[in-house]
Amino acid sequence: MTTHLGAMVAFALFVSVVFAALMRDAPGEQLRFGLRLFGGLVGGGILAGWLLYPLPF
Amino acid sequence: MPIAAAGHVRSTLDTYLICAVGWALPGAGHLWLGRRQKGLIFLIALPLMFACGLWLEGRLFPFELTQPLVALAAFADIGVGVPYVVAKAMSQGAGRAIAPTFEYGNAFLIVAGLLNMLVVLDAFDVAQGRK
Repeated sequence: MTTHLGAMVAFALFVSVVFAALMRDAPGEQLRFGLRLFGGLVGGGILAGWLLYPLPF
Repeated sequence: MPIAAAGHVRSTLDTYLICAVGWALPGAGHLWLGRRQKGLIFLIALPLMFACGLWLEGRLFPFELTQPLVALAAFADIGVGVPYVVAKAMSQGAGRAIAPTFEYGNAFLIVAGLLNMLVVLDAFDVAQGRK
């Protein structure tokens, strides 16, 4: 977890779990919403990383 | 513990007591209101996130009003409740700015506190019968 990716994945996991429990009531909906949020956070982070990669600063 | 049905309004004193308990121990407000599944999720996830922040060598910021951003971070840190007090009592959260994970640790600590504030607001809504 001490790598950049590991920390980001762990962060996304915690945030997804808490938001899924907050925003949805049924366990099935919580799971679906949590997975979508987790995928969005991790995928968005990786995408942003690649988009920023060419920048010199 | 009583179960709060949607639309059931609690007294003002009860509501604020639930919020205070929910702030002190993440998820306790929901457990009090009978939302056991959500309460257990918050009870496990938020202190664990906070502990990860300490493990990643994040800093528990002091209340320095001369530095507004530091004071805001301190306000967010304290949002997690008892885990913050325990960490302070154990002299944890000094932070090591040269650690590669320092900023990640800060993010975990701050966001754990902010998420618990959202959880408390949710407990408030449930206690008021809005959810």
